[in-house]
Amino acid sequence: MTSLPANTRIVDNTSEQPGDRAPLVLNMERFGQVTTTVCRVNEMKGAPLAWYVAFAASLGLLGLLGFCVLYLIFTGVGVWGLNNPVMWAFDITNFVFWVGIGHAGTLISAILFLFRQKWRTGINRFAEAMTIFAVICAGLFPGIHVGRVWFAYWLFPIPNQMEMWPQFRSPLLWDVFAVSTYFTVSLLFWYTGLVPDLATLRDRAKGRIQQIGYGLFALGWRGSNRHWHRYERAYLILAALSTPLVLSVHSVVSFDFATSQLPGWHTTIFPPYFVAGAIFSGFAMVVTLAVPAREMFGLKDIITLRHLDNMNKIILVTGTMVGYAYSMEFFIAWYSGAMYEKFAFLNRAFGQYWWAYLLMVSCNVITPQLFWFKAIRTSIPLMFVLSLVVNIGMWFERYVIIVSSLANDFLPSSWDKYVPTWVDVGTMLGAFGLFFTLFLLFCRFLPMIAMAEVKAIMPAADPHAGAHADHGHGGKDGH
Amino acid sequence: MSHSHSTSGHVQRLTPLDKTGLGDIGASLQLGLGILGAGCLALGLLIGLNGWMGVSEDFFWRSYLVSFCFVLAISLGGLFFVFVQHLTRAGWSVVVRRPAELLASNLRWIWALWIIPFGWLWFRGKAGLLWPWADPATMKNNNIAEWHLIEKKIGYFSLFGLFDGDFFWARAIAYFAIWAFLAHVFLNRSLRLGATGDRNNIAFMQKFAAPAAILFALSVTFASFDWIMSLSPAWFSTMFGVYFFCGCATAGFAGLILLCVRLQSVGALTHAITTEHYQDMGKLLFAFGMVFWAYIGFSQYMLIWYANVPEETTWFLARQVGGWGPFSLVLLFGHFIIPFIGFISRWPKRMPLVLSLGAIWMLAFAWLDLYWLIMPRIPHDLTQFERFSEAFAEFSDTSTHFFTPINFILLAGMVGLFGFCTLRSCRAYPLVCERDPRLGESLHFENM
Repeated sequence: MTSLPANTRIVDNTSEQPGDRAPLVLNMERFGQVTTTVCRVNEMKGAPLAWYVAFAASLGLLGLLGFCVLYLIFTGVGVWGLNNPVMWAFDITNFVFWVGIGHAGTLISAILFLFRQKWRTGINRFAEAMTIFAVICAGLFPGIHVGRVWFAYWLFPIPNQMEMWPQFRSPLLWDVFAVSTYFTVSLLFWYTGLVPDLATLRDRAKGRIQQIGYGLFALGWRGSNRHWHRYERAYLILAALSTPLVLSVHSVVSFDFATSQLPGWHTTIFPPYFVAGAIFSGFAMVVTLAVPAREMFGLKDIITLRHLDNMNKIILVTGTMVGYAYSMEFFIAWYSGAMYEKFAFLNRAFGQYWWAYLLMVSCNVITPQLFWFKAIRTSIPLMFVLSLVVNIGMWFERYVIIVSSLANDFLPSSWDKYVPTWVDVGTMLGAFGLFFTLFLLFCRFLPMIAMAEVKAIMPAADPHAGAHADHGHGGKDGH
Repeated sequence: MSHSHSTSGHVQRLTPLDKTGLGDIGASLQLGLGILGAGCLALGLLIGLNGWMGVSEDFFWRSYLVSFCFVLAISLGGLFFVFVQHLTRAGWSVVVRRPAELLASNLRWIWALWIIPFGWLWFRGKAGLLWPWADPATMKNNNIAEWHLIEKKIGYFSLFGLFDGDFFWARAIAYFAIWAFLAHVFLNRSLRLGATGDRNNIAFMQKFAAPAAILFALSVTFASFDWIMSLSPAWFSTMFGVYFFCGCATAGFAGLILLCVRLQSVGALTHAITTEHYQDMGKLLFAFGMVFWAYIGFSQYMLIWYANVPEETTWFLARQVGGWGPFSLVLLFGHFIIPFIGFISRWPKRMPLVLSLGAIWMLAFAWLDLYWLIMPRIPHDLTQFERFSEAFAEFSDTSTHFFTPINFILLAGMVGLFGFCTLRSCRAYPLVCERDPRLGESLHFENM
C-alpha cells in the first residue's frame, strides 16, 4: 500500500464544516489501495498473533458449549436451574440476547442504505456477518431447550402421519417463522453483497485452492455492465425486504412475552422497545468487534474514527429510547392503578433481583449518556469499555424481564428464586465461543469490508471528480 | 462529498419570492381563511353551547378536541421534521425545511385554542363533561367497577389541592411552553442564518436538536396521555404516546407536502423543490404515516386482544360496537392498506399531483384517527357482560355521529385559523433557508 508521508496522514475525520462532507476513506485516493488494504487480510501467509490467541480462546469456549449441550442432551433439562414458577431463564435470555445482537447488521445494510448513509459501507459487511452468526447462536437455544432435542424438528409445521401440528396461535411458532425468514434473507443479502468482492479475491488469488474456492462462490462474476445492473437491482430489493425484518423479528420475539397476562411481560410498548433494544445491543457489539478488528488488520483508514463516532451516536439514541421505554413501563404501572402491574415493577427494582435491575438501568440508560461528549465518543479505549458495558446491560435486561416476572407472579405461595447452575453459565459463555469462532474465521477468509461499495463512495467514483470539481455539483447522493 | 458548492449556481434556481416570502400574494386567501376559521369556530361554539342541532355539550367538547389535536399534530409533525434534519445533518431537505419551520411555528400561538376554551370550561366547573376524572363524584357513581383503578391516579391530575386538574393544567402549560420555545428557536435561528450568513446558527441548531428531541418525545407522550388517553380514565397503554406521535408524523409530513405544492403553484420555490424532494417526502409519509402507524397500531391492538385483560379490552370494545366496528375497518383500510398499495411504488411519489392527493387522503385519515381515539365513550357498565357477543348486541345501535355537521364546522374552523396563520408566515418570511451551507447540496439533490 502506498501511503502518504507520515506527517500528513489523516487520523481524525470526525469534524466537518457545515456544507462540506468529511471524507469517509482516509489516506487513499485510488481504488487499488482499498483492494490491497482489504485483501491483505485474507492473503497474508499467517494471521497476526492476536488472531491465533483469540481463536484459541474462542475454540475453548466452543468446546465448553459442546460439552454443556451434550451433557444437557444426555441428562435432561434438569441440569439447568429452572424451577416452578421460573420455567424459562437463561435459555430464552440467551435466545433474545443473540437475536438482538443481529439487528445492527440488518439496520446498517437495509435501513441505513435506504437513508443513504454512505458511512455504512465501511462496516456493513462484518455487521451483516455478525447478524448471521448471532442468529445461529440464537437458533441454538430454542433447539436445545425443547427437552427432547431429537424432536426439535416438530417446531416446524411439517406434515406427518400422526397429524401432529405446532400451535399456530402461539407466538413461539411465529418466532420459528420470523427467525428463519430473518436468517434466510440476511444470508442472501450478505452473500449477494459478497459476490463482487469474492471475484476480486479470486482474480488476485495465487494458490489453486483459493482460486477454486473463491471462484466457485463468485458465481462467474465478471463485473460487466449487465452484472452490475442486476446486482444493484437485487441489492435494492433485498434492502427493501430486510427493512420490515428489522422491525418484525424482534417484535415477534417480544410477543413471546407480551401476549401473556403476566405483569411485567404484558405491556403494549414491548415491540418497538425490543426493536430499539436490539439495535442498541447490536451496535454495541459492532463497536466491540470493530475496535480490535481495525487495529489487528490495519483497517483504520476504512473503519475510521468517524464511523465509530456515528455508531456511538446510534448507541446513545437507541439507549435513550430504551430508557424512554423503561420509564413508560414504570409510569404506566403506577398510572394503571392495577395492583399486580405496580408490584411487578417495584419488585423488579427492589425485589430479590434488585441487583440485576440496577445493573440493567445503569448499563443501558445511565452510562451510554456519556456518549453525549465527543471526547468519549471518539476515545477508542472508552468506547470499547462502554460497548462491553452495554452488552452486559442488555443481557441483564432480558434476564430481569424474564426471571423477575416469573419468580414473583400473582400468588406469593408459588414464588421461588432462580439460581443458574454451572451448565446454564457454561452454555451462555459457550455461545460466545461459537459466535467468536465463526467471526474470526470470517475475518480470516472472507473480505471484511465491502470493497466495491467503499470504492463507490470515494471522491474518485464521482464522474465529476477532478475536471469539474468547482462546478458546484454535489454529485449523486445515491447510496 | 467534500465538494464546496459555489454560490453562483444557487442564485439561478431561487426566485425573488423565495427570498422575500409571498408578500402581497395570497392576501385575499389569507383573509378568506381567517374569516372562515373565526366564523366556523364561533358558529361551532354557538351550536355546541346552546345545544342546537341536537349537539350535546360533551359531544361538542370532544369534537373540539379532535380538531384541535388535528392542527396540533400537523404543527408537531413539522417540528419533528425540522429537528430530525438537524440531528442527522441532512443535506437533501434544506429546500423544504423553511416550509416545515413555518408549519411548526404555529406552535407559537396554538396554545390559545386550548387554554382559552378549556379554561372557560374549567371556570364553569364543567370539565367533567370532557375529562371524567375532573368530576370525581360523578365519575365514582358511573364507574363503580373501575373506580378502584381510577382513584389511585387522581393525584396525577390534581396534586396541589387548588382545583380538580391543577397538575394537569400545570403540565399542559409546560407542554405548550416547550413546543413554542422549540419552534421559535428553530425558526429564529434559521432566519438569522439567512439574514447574516453566520454559520454558528447552523452549528447551534445541530447541537440543540438532540435535547430538543428528548423534550419533544416526553412532552408529546405525556400530552397524549393527559388529553386523549385519560378520556377513558381506567384505561392504559404504554404504547399510546408512540401511537399519537405516529399521528403527528403522518399529519406533519402530509401537511408539508401540501404546503410545498401550494407554494409552488403560486410561483415560489419553483426551481428549488424538485421531483426528487417530493419523492423523499413521499417516502417519509409512506414510512411513518402508513407503515409505522400500522405497526404501532397493530402491536397495541394485538397484544391487548390476545391477553384479553378486561380493564384493557373495554377501550377497544367501545371502538368495535355498533357503528364503530365499520369505522375501525375504514381506518385500517384508509390509513394503511389502500395508501400502502398506492404509494409503495416510486412513480406516485414522483408526481406532485398524485402525491398531494395522497397527502390530502392521509390528512383526512389522520383526522379520522383522532376522531376514533377521542370520540367513543366507553359505556360504563361493560364489565357486566360475560361475553363480548352480549356487549355487541347491547350496543349494536351505537352511532359514531361522524356526519354530524358540528364535526366539520369545527374542523373548518381550526383548519381555517391554521391556514390563516401559516399563510401569514409564508407571506412574511423568506421561503428558503438562504445561506444554509447545505443549500447547494439540497438544490442539486438527486435520488438514486
